[in-house]
Amino acid sequence: MHPILARLERLASYLALWCAIGVLEGAVLTRQGLTWPEALVQVLPPLLVYSFVCLSAWYVCRAMPLSTSGVPGVLTASALAAAVAAVLWLILNEVWLGTLESMPETAPLTMRFRGQVPFLFAVSLMLFLLVLSVHYVVLAFEAFRTAERQQLELQVLTRDAELRALRAQVNPHFLYNSLNSISALTGSDPAAARRMCLLLAEFLRTTLRVSTQERIPLAEELTLADRFLSIEQVRFGDRLHVERSIDESALDCQVPPLVLQPLLENAIGHGIAGMIDGGTVRLDVLRHGDRLAIAVENPRDPDAMPRARGGVGLENVRKRLTIVFGGAARMDATASPTGFRVALDLPSTTDV
Amino acid sequence: MSDASSLHLRIAIVDDEPLARAVLFEFLSAEANVEVVAQCANGFEAVKAVSELTPDLLLLDVQMPKLDGFEVLDLVGKDVAVVFTTAYDRYALRAFEVHAVDYLLKPISAERLSEALTRVRERLGRGERATPPDMMAAAAQPREGHAHRVLVRDGPRVHVIPVDKVDYVQAQDDYVCFRSEGKDYLKEQTLAETEASLDPAVFVRIHRSYLLNLSRLARMDQDERENRVAVLTDGKRLPVSRAGYTRLSSLL
Repeated sequence: MHPILARLERLASYLALWCAIGVLEGAVLTRQGLTWPEALVQVLPPLLVYSFVCLSAWYVCRAMPLSTSGVPGVLTASALAAAVAAVLWLILNEVWLGTLESMPETAPLTMRFRGQVPFLFAVSLMLFLLVLSVHYVVLAFEAFRTAERQQLELQVLTRDAELRALRAQVNPHFLYNSLNSISALTGSDPAAARRMCLLLAEFLRTTLRVSTQERIPLAEELTLADRFLSIEQVRFGDRLHVERSIDESALDCQVPPLVLQPLLENAIGHGIAGMIDGGTVRLDVLRHGDRLAIAVENPRDPDAMPRARGGVGLENVRKRLTIVFGGAARMDATASPTGFRVALDLPSTTDV
Repeated sequence: MSDASSLHLRIAIVDDEPLARAVLFEFLSAEANVEVVAQCANGFEAVKAVSELTPDLLLLDVQMPKLDGFEVLDLVGKDVAVVFTTAYDRYALRAFEVHAVDYLLKPISAERLSEALTRVRERLGRGERATPPDMMAAAAQPREGHAHRVLVRDGPRVHVIPVDKVDYVQAQDDYVCFRSEGKDYLKEQTLAETEASLDPAVFVRIHRSYLLNLSRLARMDQDERENRVAVLTDGKRLPVSRAGYTRLSSLL
C-alpha cells in the first residue's frame, strides 16, 4: 500500500502542501496582472490532479531501491519518470485550459497564462523529483525502523532460546534420578556417592557458567558432555557404552554453549533407556577445512513407542544454531527403525 | 483388621536402574514383615515374577524399556498391588486414575516408602482386590492418540501384537479375543474398552461381538437367511449387524 494513500491525515497534509505550491504559482500569475481568483482557477485544478500523478514516484522508488540499484540507474529512472510526469502535466494543463477557453467568460484569461507554460513545465519537473526524493527518504526511514525492530526481535529470541536451553540443560528429572543414585550409593559405596556428588556439582557449575556465554571452545563443551556421560554411566551401569572419535584440531573451535549435551541426553533418554540390554552412543567430531562436523548416534528399540515429547531438546538446538549462525549451520536428524543419528554441520571459527 | 499393620508383604522391585533397585532394597531390609521376592529390570521380568512368585506388591518404575509401568499394571494389576516410583510428577494423576496404591517421587525417602507400605497393608487388609477391574481399562488407554500395539498376558509371558497385525477382535464373555496371524489371544477386557483404545478409522464395530480391522475386509456377502456377512481377505466370515453395516458404509 502506498504510504501516503494508506492514511487519510498523510494524504491531507500532502494535498495541503500542493495547495501552498498552487498559491505560489498563482502569485506569479498575479504579477502578470491577473486577479487572485483568476490565477487560482487556472492553476489549482491541474496542479491537484498532478499531485496524484506525483504519487506514482513511490512505484519508481520501489522498483529502483537505493540499496541495490546503481546511482546511474536511479538517476535515469528518476529523470525518465519526471519527464513522463511533466509531459502528463502539460496535457492536463492543455485539457483544463481548453475547457476554460470553451467558456466565454473565462476564455480571455488563458492567453496570458499560456505564456507561463514552459516555466511551469520546468517547475512541475522539479516538483516530481522533489516528491520522488521525499519517497526515497520515507522508504529509507521505514527500512531503518524495520531493521531496528528485527534486531530487537532477534535479541528477544536469543534470550528466550538461551533460557529454554538452560532449562533443557538442567533437566530436573536428570537431577532427581542422579540424586536417587547418590542416595542409593550412600548406603553401599560412600566413596562412589561422594564422587557422584562432585561430578554433579561440577556439571551444574559449568553449565551455569557457560550458559551466559555466546561461544565457548569445543573442548569445554566436550568436558561438560563427559561429566554428563559419567553421571549417566553411574545410573545406567553396563547398559550405557560410549565411543568417542574426537578430531584434536577441532578442540579450539568456538561453538554456542550447550549444543552437544542435549543431543547426548536425547540419545540416552530416547535410545539407550528404552533398550533392555542398552547400547553404545557414538560421538564423532571432525574438523574439515572451515567446517566442523559433530554427530551423535544411538541405537534404539525398534518396537519402542514414539514419544510425544521427544524432539523438543533437538528443536531447541536447531533454533539456537539458526540464531547464532543463520543459514551457515545445519542440523540433520535421521531416524531408522533401529537407530537415530543427529549431525551438526557448523562453521569452524576459532576466533573469539 | 487389627493386624493389618503387621501384614506380611511379599514385594517385587521393578526398575531398570540397578541403583534405584538397590536403594529400595536397602530401605525394605530395614522394614519388619517385608520380604523382597524379586528384583526385575524390566516389564517382562515383572510380569513373569507376578505369575511365578505371586507377590503382594510391585514397586514399579514408570519409564522402562519395552513395557512401561502403566502397561505392566494393565497386564498384572488385578493380581498385585502397585506403588509407582518415578522422578516424574506428571504421571501422578494417571497413576491414581488406574488405582495405584501410592506414587513415590525419586529420590525416595525411607519414611515415605514406609507410609506407602502402610497404605498397601490397609488396602490388602480390607480384602480388596489389588486393582478394581474397572480401573484396568483406564490403564490400557494410551494418553494421546490410539494404541499402536496390544499387550496380552499369557501366564508369565507377554505377547506384544502390533495393531496392524490384528484381523479382528471378538467378545467372549469376560474376555476379548484378538485374532492375529492365525492365532487367538485372550485378554480380560470388554469389547467397548478395546474399541475405545483403537483407532476408529481402522477398527469398526461391525457387530455387538466383533471389531473388524477395515483393511482385512475383502467384500460383503449375505448368508442363507439374508443377514449381511463380512468376508475377510483370508476367507473368514463375520456377522454384520444393521448398525454395524451403517458404520461400515460411512467409512467405505
